[in-house]
Parts: sequence; structure tokens; C-alpha cells
Amino acid sequence: MSTLDPVDYAVISQALLAASREMGTKLVRSAYSNIVREARDASCAILDPAGNIVAQSEMVPMQLGSMNTTLRACLAQYPAHTLGEDDFLVNNHPFHGGQHLQDVFIFRPVFIDGELIAFAGSTAHHLDLGGGSAGLNALASDVYQEGLLLPPLKFSLARDWNGGTFERLLAANIRVPDQTLGDFNAQFAAKAIGIERVRALCAKYGVAAVKATMAELIAYAERQLRAAIRALPDGVYTGEDAGDDIEGSGAPLWVRARVTVAGDEMEIDFAGTCAQVARNINSPLASTESAVMSCIKGVLIGGDVPFNEGSFRPVRLKVPYGSILNPRPPAPVRARMLPCYRAYDAVMKALAKVAPMPARVIASGFDNALITCLARLANGRYRVCLETYGGGFGASASGDGADGIAAPLSNTTNSPIEALDMNFDYFRIAGYALNPDSCGHGRQRGGLGMRRTYEILEDGVDFSLYGDRFEIAPEGLAGGTAGALSRAEVWRGGARVDIDLKRGARLQKGDLVVVSTSGGAGFGDPRARDPARVRSDLEQGVIDEQAARGVYGQAPGTDAGARP
Amino acid sequence: MRVGIEVGGTFTDLIAIDGAEVRVAKVPSTPAAPEQGAFAALEAAGIALARVTDLVHGSTVATNAVLERKGGLTAFVTTAGFRDLLSIQRQDRPKVYELLYAKPVPVVERRDVVEIVERMRADGAVATALDPGPAEATLVAALAARPYQAVAVCFLNAYANPAHEHAVAAIIKRRFPDLHVSCSADISREFREYERASTTALSAYVQPIIDSYIGRFEARLAREGFAGRFSIMQSNGGRLPAAAIRRNAISALFSGPAAGVTGAVRQAGASGHANLVTFDMGGTSTDVCLVTNGAPIIAPETAVDGLPIRTPVVDIASVGAGGGSIVWRDPGGMLRVGPRSAGAEPGPACYGRGGTAPTITDAHVIRGTIQPESFLGGRMRLDVEAARRAYAPLAREFGMSLEAIADSAIRLADANVVRAIQLISTELGRDPRDYVLVPFGGAGPLHAGRIAEDLGIGTIVVPQNAGVLSAFGLLAADFTMYETMTRRTLVDAAAPDAVRDAMGALRDRLAARFAALGMRGALDYQHTLQMRFVGQAFEVDVPLSTGDLDGLTEAGLRERFDHAHRLVYMAGGGAGLAGKSIEVVGFRAGATAPEESILPPKPPAAAAHAQRRVRIHENRAGRDCAVATRPQVEAAGGLAGPLLVEDETATIYVPPGWRAASDAAGNLVVRRTGDAS
Repeated sequence: MSTLDPVDYAVISQALLAASREMGTKLVRSAYSNIVREARDASCAILDPAGNIVAQSEMVPMQLGSMNTTLRACLAQYPAHTLGEDDFLVNNHPFHGGQHLQDVFIFRPVFIDGELIAFAGSTAHHLDLGGGSAGLNALASDVYQEGLLLPPLKFSLARDWNGGTFERLLAANIRVPDQTLGDFNAQFAAKAIGIERVRALCAKYGVAAVKATMAELIAYAERQLRAAIRALPDGVYTGEDAGDDIEGSGAPLWVRARVTVAGDEMEIDFAGTCAQVARNINSPLASTESAVMSCIKGVLIGGDVPFNEGSFRPVRLKVPYGSILNPRPPAPVRARMLPCYRAYDAVMKALAKVAPMPARVIASGFDNALITCLARLANGRYRVCLETYGGGFGASASGDGADGIAAPLSNTTNSPIEALDMNFDYFRIAGYALNPDSCGHGRQRGGLGMRRTYEILEDGVDFSLYGDRFEIAPEGLAGGTAGALSRAEVWRGGARVDIDLKRGARLQKGDLVVVSTSGGAGFGDPRARDPARVRSDLEQGVIDEQAARGVYGQAPGTDAGARP
Repeated sequence: MRVGIEVGGTFTDLIAIDGAEVRVAKVPSTPAAPEQGAFAALEAAGIALARVTDLVHGSTVATNAVLERKGGLTAFVTTAGFRDLLSIQRQDRPKVYELLYAKPVPVVERRDVVEIVERMRADGAVATALDPGPAEATLVAALAARPYQAVAVCFLNAYANPAHEHAVAAIIKRRFPDLHVSCSADISREFREYERASTTALSAYVQPIIDSYIGRFEARLAREGFAGRFSIMQSNGGRLPAAAIRRNAISALFSGPAAGVTGAVRQAGASGHANLVTFDMGGTSTDVCLVTNGAPIIAPETAVDGLPIRTPVVDIASVGAGGGSIVWRDPGGMLRVGPRSAGAEPGPACYGRGGTAPTITDAHVIRGTIQPESFLGGRMRLDVEAARRAYAPLAREFGMSLEAIADSAIRLADANVVRAIQLISTELGRDPRDYVLVPFGGAGPLHAGRIAEDLGIGTIVVPQNAGVLSAFGLLAADFTMYETMTRRTLVDAAAPDAVRDAMGALRDRLAARFAALGMRGALDYQHTLQMRFVGQAFEVDVPLSTGDLDGLTEAGLRERFDHAHRLVYMAGGGAGLAGKSIEVVGFRAGATAPEESILPPKPPAAAAHAQRRVRIHENRAGRDCAVATRPQVEAAGGLAGPLLVEDETATIYVPPGWRAASDAAGNLVVRRTGDAS
């Protein structure tokens, strides 16, 4: 830092952040599948030659938090000095630094006069990568049934893409090659932009200044997190959260976190977390790390400071091998977000025990990756629609949780109804609304969950989903009450039919599928809620009269209510 | 006499042009009743309204109505099952690590939503017919429940077939003749229901406010003997007769920044420049815009207070760097500028109104690039010691001299502006070196030199009256309207005819709208196709002239799209264009009724004496710098930097290696002549 002019440093670091933002924007805008182009399930970053994250597009926290681990696994196989300008590295392997198969990470080196300066990285959730069924194989019992595994691999862009070996191999193994290859192209386009921008910065400010800025930007994030940890009282704080039990587990899936704060460092030990399971609810280590880091960043730092390698350095994770947070191969991992959210909530609950409670601690919410997949094979061609959901956010000491919003680790957008109407003729969204009374109550209430109704327009539509919070509701904090449960139901001819959508189902024309997501939990004693806000919630149809009287102790239409 | 009055957040600016006579006035704005400021400006300039033939007005009335949630009570009518469109929005959080996130608050409350059973399909076919009887019963019960002033109607897929929206609007108009009704297909005929619904709701919400504001304004104009033409500025850079804006208020939402761009285009155009980066630096923020061949880039969408507005607007990038922006050191030790601002009150420390935070203006005072005795033509004295006191803590923290930290702050503010300009140029595949920089606003001309250097721009054109250019932009604006349409059209042999048909339909609509305003003169048309590879969701703009349209071929369409796509994404379609399907998704046509060109007359030259020399600290070095007025620059036949040129509304800094000269149009043209230092 001593040799780096403060203005050059500020300017180059802002430019690196801007370059990763631009990569992210252009990836989404040139993508093909609804999951990337409408839901924005993709992320980009610029990393240094050692695989340290320097700057990232703030899109999907879950994907961003493992760019470093995923790249380092590639570099272990193909050391940096063996790479050439035209090379790219690919990795989606859950047991070699990747997450779930659908998130394919691609990295390209940035060279200046033969010197490796940086990597441009991106990942996108791909619609279909083969495997046991189109889009989502809900019943996979091992990772091989989930799709094509890409261990850390090195290819040449000129030789192996654009009709080359890798592209053809990939195309032969996936069901919707037009969209998937289109999304890969969007990833390559984003990286070309990242490379161009880093090169331009080096040309303008010199390689030395850019390298010094990258190092300082990492040190900057580290200083900020260390200062925030130092402000917490030393001690051991524990939290636990449980996911719904699944076929064969016979019990909820417990995740237990023991957070030790010592000076400006933090250790998180997940000893006591349940063993890996036979279904896809297992989280590769890279995913677990990413989830935990996102929680710590959100609670201790908030939004203003960039997230990068420095954010990892003051934090040490201990995750038992063979648990759902660090499974042995060949565990299936598709729904890895579910245990990740439980790890996120367990750490959040531990941090809630710090006194005084950090201001950004929030109650549990929807905190869940609820994914639906509607696939249909007609005339020899597969069509796949993947959708991600939002729900209610948990309340905090300072405010209500947001209604109907993406969960903390995903941040994907909804697909416009009109975009789906334009692109899919085998189903239609018949309703999409907030779910009144689904919030947990409190001095601050949780956010409302949502309800999305699919009307099936053709026979032979395969519907599958995964998600959590169907049995165990998000818990309130400081006296707040729990949010409502998620639900997924099939209606046929006016009657509910007993179909477990988590196992996947073939639906017929005229069926209605109603998916409701859980609400956020409340914070603080509901009876301490401002009566004007209870009245407003009642007027807006957010809560009903029963809740106003029973939970909040307020009779509608009076100012003071029936408070004792 | 022609008069432009621009009501800003802090000041109300006026420019009046009558043959060789120019009058300028700047008075404090009166946010509670903006028309008072406007009439105060007229009075300050000594203008008799009876003599005014053309009055153009821009204001922040609509924007403030949204920001303060003081629009009319609005009901929102939508397809049954989708009552929470406006609350759910796109479900994302713009700041991903912000756990205490609150969504943008819609302008329509949940209880004011009315659901009607109906459904269109994406191809415009009816999926569920609207049953008029039950619909009327539902509407009558709902709309009588509260004292609504406006209704926004947005049905799913109405962009493909607006019949149900229009049927509902007819019912409402019949049963509630006083209610203003906005239909989504009339406001923004494009797909993506949330963005269209948000636009429609905002439009309905501001309508009663704009209507009554213009009504009051017109009444007072009439009382004071005004008999000329009264028009209002729009966010698309053109104006419309006030009567038309009363029915289409949403288009007036961001008129101020657009007016500045229009003024810059006209002024720089008089010096023969058509490719511009406009750069408006005021007290709290900086607005930049790219102009190619005299036309600003038009963006399909903007937002107010987090709420999207899908309507063509001049594409302006804003950054929180202005004269009042506060300079600070963040907890990680990084030097930062803005976005907090000292505003007009207390203002920068050097204003001596109690401000203590270090601002960009204070940094200029410390560096010497603002000379305290001649600021704003000497009308305002500055407190140099207060500026130095404000910067003392930062100087200590960074271990720098006051001059060095002040200089660092300004260079960082410059870098933030450079980033904003790259956003609208480099990121859209345009090279800023092909453009000239046109700075205006109080602070733009001070920063323009170093910013141009950084971007590789070799020419800077500083307009006359740079501090009130937005007001001039009002006068310079043509009458402009846009029509848009979503209609998916595959690029094949039939596509050229389909494109001509669609554009013909849009032109017919535009001609009819102009005719309805009593304007029957010739119109200039611009056409833009929004195109993508089949399967993508976002489009790139492909502009077409009227001539292009006539000779359009399938191959030509593909070539134009490929060029546009590569410009933005540095990539075409993967393995190349061959075999990749392309489609047109959106059509946009603009129509302009040209106004006679107007330019302020050039001020007379002055004798080339009395230049001062001062010592400044700028770009890491102490420099001897000349100080001159614009007439002095002209009399000397041009002067080399380092040089400060002071005029009534703004100070211009000419760096070393640059030379300033007046040109025939009255602009000060600053050109790079040598290496920077």
C-alpha cells in the first residue's frame, strides 16, 4: 500500500468491481435459459493468479462464495505456469471443489506480456446436464445419476469450443443443447469482457499498480471483517436448525454450529451435524463454506464492503467428513442448498446469542431453495422449465421482514408470467400472489410467503421439486412466532390428489399444482407491536382479524385495542 | 420572446431569448409550490408575460410526487390471481448481502387492487373471456369504496391484445366519468408484466398531480396576459404541448437531465459537433449521456425510487459526485467521494453557512482551482479557512498536505465520473475517443479537462451559459413522441415486409397523436428494432433510418444485428451467425416535429488585459496558472493552459497541454495540443 497512490488504488479497485458487475450483467443479458436470463442464477468474479477472489458481481451469494475453492482445485491439477492465453478451466465436480453439477464454473487466465495477472471466472446454473431425468432427478441415489461430471479440466477455447471436442461432448450429453450451449456462450462472452477490462487497466496504470490494488483490496476486506469480529465479545455461541426429515432418515436433519469468537478471528465447528443422507440433500464442502461466509458477511459487515478472499481469512471452518455438510462421494448433492440454509440459520442463531445482539441478525425466514422443474418430451424434443422461489424474509429488531422475496443465499428473480406464456405451451401460471397470514408475528413481523399456481395444459408433463420448510417452520426470535410452512399440492377435477411432488410426478392436462412458500418468522413480543401497524396489516389483508385479536391482542377498529 | 424555465431541486433557472437579447435568472426553488419559483424567476428577469410567444417548462413535480408518495389515490385493476404484482415485483434484492432489506414501496396499496376474471394468451388469443356483467359489478363496488382519483389497468398479455383492458376502461369511464384511467397497453405496449404494471400504476398516480399543477400554471399565465404557446419538457429529450402532458404525465418524470442533454446537443451542434459525451455536474450529482450523430441514446426503461418505468427516456447515467459531495475515509481506509452531499444547506464548508464536512467545492478552494474572490462572478464570497479546517482531519489520516489530499479528492471524483462515462460508452461498445466532451452545470467545466484526458478525448466544447444550460435545453427542444410495441418476428425472407408493416403502424399512431394536438406539419421519424438470438431474453437496439427501412433485406437485418450484438457483448452467436435464428421482439418509433433552431447570440469580446496569475496545486503539482474571462480568451485569440476561465455561471479549467479558444458559435473550445502533465 505504501507505494500505491490512494487515488490509483481507489480508482483501480472500483474499476475491478465495475468489471465484474459488467461481466455479470452481460452474462445474464446474453443468456438463453429462463433460469439464467430471467431468474439470473449466475455469477462472475475476477480472481488473482493464486485463486484468491478479488472482485465479484453481487448476484448469487451461494455461487460467489466458492469461486476461490473451485478455481484452486483446477490449479492443483493444472498449475498456473502451465496455462496459456487460449486455455480455459472447467469444474463442476462436487468432490473436487465444485458445488452441484448444474453450476458449471469456468475460468480463463488473463495474461499481459506472458505474465499471468488474473483469472476471469463465471458460473451459471445450467438447465440440464444429463442425468436420470430432464432438468431435475429428484430421486437420484448417487451423484452419477445427477448428470455429467466435469472434474477440473483444461481446454483450449479455439480448439475445443465452437464446434470443438468439449462442446460436442457436452452437446451429446444434455437434453436441451440449444439453451445450455447458449448459456455456456454467455459465460464465455462475460469472461472475454473481464479479460478485456483487466488488460485495459494494466495498460493504463501498469501491471504493478493493478497487482498491488488486487492485494490491497483483499487486505481491505479482511481488515473490515477483523474489525467487526473484534467488536464482538469473545466466547462460544451455539445455534442449531433442522431440515425436514426425508425418506429413510426417520428424523429431522439437524445442523449444529458452535461459533468461537477469539479476538479478531472466528471458528465455526459443525460437530454434531447429522450424517449424510441417501437422497440429494447433501452439501459439498465448497457450498457449505460459501453459505457460512455469506451469513457472516451479511450479519457482521452488511452490504457496503466488497466480499472477497479477505473475507475468508479471519474465519476457520471445521466440518465433519461424512456429514450432510461435507459428504463422502458418491453422495447425491443436487439439493445442496437445503443443508446450506440450515447451516446458515444455525450460524445466524448462534450469532443471535451474542450480547448485545448484532443489529443485522434476523429471525429465520423462508431460507430455502424451493425449485420446481416442469419438463416435457414431445416430438423427440425436450422442453425444460426450472423455477426458483422466494418467500418471507425473517424480521429483525429494526424492521419487518420483506414479503415475497428471494432467500438470502440465492437472490434469483422470478420469471415473468408473460415470458413463460411466450415460451411454454404445456403449462400456464394461473395465479401468483402473496399468501396472507403466512408470516410469523412479533414486534416486527416476518415477511409473507407466496403462492404460485400452475395449470397444466398438456398430458405428460413431468413435475418435480425440492425444498425445505414443509415440516419444520422457521423459528421466531426474541419472542416472535414462527412463519407458516411451505406446501405443494396437486388438484385434479376439483379434488386434492395425494401426490408427493418431492418424488416427482407425471401430470395430466387440467391438473393444478399449487406451491406455497413459507413466511418469515417474527422478532420480539407481538403484543409490543405498534397498534397502527397491526391495523395497517389488517387493512391491507396481510393478517386477518383472528391474528389481530389473538396474537396482537388488538380489536380491529379501535386505537388502543384490547391490551391488558 | 422565448422563455425556458427549469425548476430544479435547489434553484429555478430561467433563460429568455429575444433576438439579440438574452436574459438569465437563477432564483431559489419553492418545493411546496414550484410554480411560485417559476413566476419569481420571470419577475427577477423582468419579463412581461404578454410579450412571451413560447414558454417551455420543466419541473420535478412528477418525480417529487412519487418520492414523497403524494400522488393521487389510485386503484390497480389486474387479472384475477395476480393481485400482488406490484408488491412481489421481481422478488430479488439489489444488495445481496443486505439482511435488513426493505422493498421499494409501490404507489398503490394492496387494498386498492381489484381483480377481474379474464386472460389473454401470449399470441393475443383469448384464453378466458371477460364477462362484462360481473366485471362491472366488481369494479363498481371496488371503485366506490374509497375516494379514488385514478385507475391503472394492467392485464396479463395485454401488450398482445388490449381488448380486455379497453373494455374495462370503457366500463369505468361510463360509471365513473371523473376518474382518470390508464391502460397498460396504451402506456407501454411491451411484455414483462411487472415492469408494465409498475409503469402504468406510476402513470396513473402522478396524473392528477400533473394535471392540477399544469392547470394552476396555465390559469396564472392567463391572468398575467400570456397568449403564447406553453409546452412541457419530457424525459425523452423532446417537449409536448402542456395539454398533451396533462394526459400523459409519466413522460415528464425526468425532464431536467434530459433538457440539459438537449441544450448540449444544440449548442455543440452549432460548433459542428454531433458526437458528444454530455457531462452535467451540479451540487449533489453528475449526469452523463452519450450522443451519436446528434441523437442521445434512448433507453427503454428507467426507475424512480426503485420502481421501474418502461418508457423511452434519454439514457443518462448518474453518479453521486457533485460540488457538494462529501469526501471521507471508510473504515477499511479507502478514500471515498459521496454519495452523501452537503446539499444546498449547509453546503460546502467554504460557503460559511455552518458546513464542516469536506466537499469537492472545498477541495477546489484549497487547490486554488476555485478563486474565492471571483466565484460566480464575485457574487458569493468564500471562506478559505473553513475549507482548510474541513480537510485537516483527512490530511492527517492520510499523512498528506492539505493541497495533496484536496487534489486526491478531486482526482477521485473525476475517476467516478470517468466510470459513469465508461458505463454509457465503453460498456456499450462505443469508444469515447470518437466523441467530444460537453461539460455544463456549475462544476462540469472545472473537471472536464482531466476527465477528457483520462478518456483520451481531445476536444472539449464548453457552451455559453454553461451553468443554466438545462433551461436553454427547454427552448432548444423539438416536439417528440415515441410509440413502442412487442411483436415477435422471426428474421426470414418475410421479415423485411413485417418490419415495414410494424413500423408503418407505429408511424400511423404517432401521426394521429400529433394530429390530435393540432400539429400537422412534416414529422421526422426514427426507428429502432429490438433484436436478439431466438432464445435470449434481452434485446439489443438496432437503429434504422427511413431509407434503411425502404431497402431492408433479410441479410441486411442479420448484418445489422450481428454488428450491434458484437458491439455490446464482444461476441456474436457462438459458432457464428450461420444457422442461428434471430428475431425482432420490439419495435420503437419516434416522431419529431422540428422547431426552428435557436441559439443565444454571442457576447462581445473584451480587451485582452488584466489577466491575473495565481498559484494552484493541481494533478499532484504546484502550477502557475493564468486567470481570464471568456471575452479575454477571445480577444487574445486563444490562451494555453494551465488556465482558469471564469464566467457568470461556471469556471473552466484548462490543463497544461490544452488550449482554449472561442469559436463563431460562442462556445469555448478547448483542444489538446501536447502531452499532459
